[in-house]
Amino acid sequence: MPDSISLAMRGRDLKKKRFFTDNNGLAYVSARSGEVDRIVARSFSDCFPAAEKGDIAAVAVGGYGRSQLFPHSDVDLLILFSDDRLVAQSEGALARLLAGLWDAKLRVSHSVRTPKDCTTITPENAELSISLLDSRFLAGDRELFGLLHGQQLPQFFLREQSALLRNLVELSQARHQRHGKTIYHLEPDIKECPGGLRDFHLACWISQLVNVTQDHVPLSEEHLPDKDGTEWMQAKRFLFSVRCYLHYFVGRDNNNLTFEMQDRVSRSGLAKPFPKAHRTEDWMRDYFRHVRAVSRLATQMMEVAAVSRRTLLTRVRDRSSRLSHVYFPVSRGRIYLRHSQALKDRPELVFELFRWVARHGLPLAAETERRIKEALPGIETHARSRADVWPMLAAILKLRHAYRALTAMHETGVLFALFPEFKLIDCLVIRDFYHRYTVDEHVFRAVRHIHELREGKDENLRDYGSLLVELEHPERLFFAVLFHDVGKGVPGPDHSQRSIELTDRAMERIGMEAAGRETVRFLIRHHLTMSAFMRGRDVSDPETIHELADIVGTIDRLKALTLVTFADIRALNPLAMTPWRRELLWQLYVATYNRLTGDVEDLRIRPEASQTYLAPPASADERKDVDEFLEGFPERYLRTRTPEKIRSHFNLSRRLAEQDSAVSVTENGSFYEVAVITKDRPNLFASLCGGLAAFGVSIEKAEAFSNAYGLVLDTFIVVDSNHRLDVSPDASLQLARTLRKVAEDRVEVKDLLQAREPVYRTAARTWIKPRVSIDNQTSQRATVIHVTAQDRIGLLYDLARTISSGGYDIEVVLIDTQGRKAMDVFYATGPDGKLAPMEGERLRDEMLAACGVRVSEKAGQAPVRPPAG
Amino acid sequence: MKRVEAIIRPFKLDGVRAALSEIGVHGMTIYDIRGHGRQKGHKEIYRGQEYEIDLLPKVKLETVVTDERVEEVVDTIVTTARTGRIGDGKVFVCPTEGAVRIRNHETGEDAL
Repeated sequence: MPDSISLAMRGRDLKKKRFFTDNNGLAYVSARSGEVDRIVARSFSDCFPAAEKGDIAAVAVGGYGRSQLFPHSDVDLLILFSDDRLVAQSEGALARLLAGLWDAKLRVSHSVRTPKDCTTITPENAELSISLLDSRFLAGDRELFGLLHGQQLPQFFLREQSALLRNLVELSQARHQRHGKTIYHLEPDIKECPGGLRDFHLACWISQLVNVTQDHVPLSEEHLPDKDGTEWMQAKRFLFSVRCYLHYFVGRDNNNLTFEMQDRVSRSGLAKPFPKAHRTEDWMRDYFRHVRAVSRLATQMMEVAAVSRRTLLTRVRDRSSRLSHVYFPVSRGRIYLRHSQALKDRPELVFELFRWVARHGLPLAAETERRIKEALPGIETHARSRADVWPMLAAILKLRHAYRALTAMHETGVLFALFPEFKLIDCLVIRDFYHRYTVDEHVFRAVRHIHELREGKDENLRDYGSLLVELEHPERLFFAVLFHDVGKGVPGPDHSQRSIELTDRAMERIGMEAAGRETVRFLIRHHLTMSAFMRGRDVSDPETIHELADIVGTIDRLKALTLVTFADIRALNPLAMTPWRRELLWQLYVATYNRLTGDVEDLRIRPEASQTYLAPPASADERKDVDEFLEGFPERYLRTRTPEKIRSHFNLSRRLAEQDSAVSVTENGSFYEVAVITKDRPNLFASLCGGLAAFGVSIEKAEAFSNAYGLVLDTFIVVDSNHRLDVSPDASLQLARTLRKVAEDRVEVKDLLQAREPVYRTAARTWIKPRVSIDNQTSQRATVIHVTAQDRIGLLYDLARTISSGGYDIEVVLIDTQGRKAMDVFYATGPDGKLAPMEGERLRDEMLAACGVRVSEKAGQAPVRPPAG
Repeated sequence: MKRVEAIIRPFKLDGVRAALSEIGVHGMTIYDIRGHGRQKGHKEIYRGQEYEIDLLPKVKLETVVTDERVEEVVDTIVTTARTGRIGDGKVFVCPTEGAVRIRNHETGEDAL
């Protein structure tokens, strides 16, 4: 055996033995590097005996240049020639050198270059240029290396600083993207994942590049911030040791911390510095704590890179695009504090800060994160002393970038200050086949996936997106999603129940309203129910659907639970929500929706059950009145309205003691809800539709209910495209006054419509062919009329008036609009109940005419487009 | 040897797997699939709007067994997966030329 090989073998065994005794990865990589230095130097001298005078040098670069060789790392070697001609002359010697090093069991990754090659940047050799930041002389012509390292490279790095920084950042962003832009992987690659060793190197490289001078390339960690005793130093020590273990256990350069490796490494001597770590899960929490420190360091240094790369143009652009906030200025795409002590002086501002994050999706600057951490005790005390945290948190949860805000709250410790319960799932690894992320990351992702539905980017998910828009209290859904797995942090069989117990405490502390708590409890309790139905039940069996309908009870809950189920599956891993599962879940939703709404007119509310449906609940004095108000309404009313809404309708009905009708107009985000209560009379619904059309609002949804005492409740969701209601506080009152006049038959609707100012709308791009179908099968008592048509202001008025003027009663109306498509369903009865076939035919023609179709077109001729507006 | 392919309702999968395991068939491949048979999907009404569900979610199970066991395996699948309603699925039996266990290169029925 040649000397170099036996030397390598002996040295390797000794170092392994020492590492398994002291678990010191830092010492190991340095010692191994020193040993390899000796082998390379000796082999180089053997192969290039005249090299010291011969313009050739062996240079360590990359990880080897930093003196960081792990047990199975590649040995990055640069053979530096002063001239291209020398390369050709040295081919034989070079081959002998490399063969000898391979025989010594070194995995050599070599490159042969001249100083000119080293100081030329091309897209293909950007990584080589970066590796030269850590170049170190090994053997040969020291003067040649000195010239490169002391003059040519510093000047090259100074010249190409901007391009190299850009390249580094882009490569890192692409790498982060490949790993899901999160550190919280259940089985991470400790080198490549965000927060891994590569991010540590990234931070070093940026610090070297921005601090390079004319004649000096700084050492790898020379300019890293807060070098002594910091969290990143501990993280480095930890990760180096873990990587050594992985290389030894797997027997090659493998950096995947798989479940099996987690068990082995956590049982190794490396657990010794962490005496509290009794289980692998606890050890992994330590792992994530260290990785988080590295990730923070890398983020901080990327900010430094961004500052350093700023050109005059980007400075101007930055200034002109700066978002304005009185406390939180934005610069270079990151959020800063205008006054450094702001959060210490006014801890309540922290909610506004994260609302700002949730609105714009911008990250916090490292400086801001540091200030938040300093202010944490005050923030915690403040949050505990207030009973109105919930509205502020709700405002954050509803915003589009809530995911960003939540992860920032998590990283800075604010989430723990508000909800100590969340510590239970901090970096928690639960092993199963489907989960890819830690429990905390899983719930944040679930929140993000629900918000993404609103953007409507994926055509296949549009239906799910519509559910989100229709929820009355989306903030409750988001809160439930955030807490649905918190019980996993407490050992035991039923994590849903434990989650509810923990969430109950949190909800009470932050002052969530009783109805909200009930919804959150329901969603957490049943967050696996629809998945279980999809997996284990026949979704085409009416009994299955009946059972699920009984569990959810109301449409609002069904929608929320469907979204929870969707998000919970999608956040398992990027491939979990297959088209197969998506379709199965949607079928389950539709079938249950139809079950809840299908018996619209047949099942009527009985008086004795009514008072339980209000929030706040009916008092003893109110119960009789509540019973009377609800009696005879279809059960659908209870299923499609929240308890708070039913309470508001009941309160509205009490005004009828003093007046003939009562109207409420309430803003709800992008639309307004209008409720009208009055005594029934012919043409009432059509007249109200006309009243709304005359006001210029577009009816998106409408429903009409009547109780056993002839009281009518008509509800409308309207969109105010002309912003009359938005800009003038009096406009709502004016609309309510107009609708009361209409309800009480004190004004002619046609006069109102004639007086209406013309409304100019953009012409629809596509024309929806009107369809009217008469259905005598679906309902036992009424004829169901389905209408699909191009939506326009006044359409519903025209349709309802057509039915009413034919002498028919409108029992139930279900109105829906998707884009420019109106989908209206009327349950109509005549004097003898359902419409006779001939009556149905005639009514169909009249309704088609109301939609703008001439009767002669029924035979298939193209319909005539009605005038816009 | 024969390859038995069964297209069944998703919720019947656990039952069919348990039944096959009871008769000693442990190896199988499962696919989430969508498709339709003679009923060609169905129509659903959602919010008064009719829409067609032409591809229904199903599960496909594949296993390869010796010729003598084919009848028993098919019977087990049919009995366990049956609800009696349209959409219960189908079982196909296809000839299989050979099999090789990759780990140790066993071939033929030994590889099953």
